[in-house]
Amino acid sequence: MTKGNDHDLGERFQALRREDAAGAPPFNAMLATARTRRARPPRRRTVWLAAAAVVVACVGLVLLFTRPHRHGVTIDLAAVRWDAPTDFLLDLPGAALLRALPKLGRVTLPGAGFTDTNSDRRTP
Amino acid sequence: MSPEALELELDRMHPAAFGWALACCAGDRTAAEDALQASYLKILDGRARFDGRSSFRTWLFAIVRNTAAELRRRAALRRLLPLAVLSARPDGRLDPATELARADTTRRLTAALDTLPRRQREMLHLVFYQDLTITEAAEVAGVSLGTARTHYERGKAALRKLLKDEPE
Repeated sequence: MTKGNDHDLGERFQALRREDAAGAPPFNAMLATARTRRARPPRRRTVWLAAAAVVVACVGLVLLFTRPHRHGVTIDLAAVRWDAPTDFLLDLPGAALLRALPKLGRVTLPGAGFTDTNSDRRTP
Repeated sequence: MSPEALELELDRMHPAAFGWALACCAGDRTAAEDALQASYLKILDGRARFDGRSSFRTWLFAIVRNTAAELRRRAALRRLLPLAVLSARPDGRLDPATELARADTTRRLTAALDTLPRRQREMLHLVFYQDLTITEAAEVAGVSLGTARTHYERGKAALRKLLKDEPE
């Protein structure tokens, strides 16, 4: 026995039970209401779904038209210059020779002391 | 079980099931009727099947309890939506019609029960009101026997204290 000497509590609950039973709706009426409710189309759910769809659409439109940079960030590549910190390693001695177009009969070595047109060594 | 036999059994259990639904809905009569109707539909539509592993009463009470919890969750969700405030009734309070119909002693009992945690309230109701054993009550509530016993003992002590402290 789980209740032991809880007779007083039991009495109170049984009084509550009698009151509830007296006020209980008839089974058949409740079943009829339940069946009517089941037969009714689920209008309420449809209304909720439609309302939710409208809210989502509105939020989407607001976000679409009010967000800054909505087309993405544009970068002017012409104005951008970036130098790598190790670029100096590419500056080799005499690199200018590789970039310049050599001219026949003329010495264009930097530091050679003569780089002008007077350096023409051709024999007549 | 045939649909006719099922309906007969539900009819027989109806007063007790209604009392249990009231307890699951904290005395809210409208919510209790909704929960009970939804439970009956689940059973009669075959969405809940009695497989004989427990007694019919234990099985029915578990369905009523779960359905009431589902409806309570839905109602809580609805209250989160702005417009729902207009139609919401405060949760966990007896509706005025039920409150008025109660005698003084039972009114004090329900008021004391309302202050207890849900699990304790359920255990006390199932044992004292529905005359279930603690094992059966544990099955209905979906908890272990040890947990059920703890809730039962704590609930009983708290209820005794509340009823004793209250002025007559």
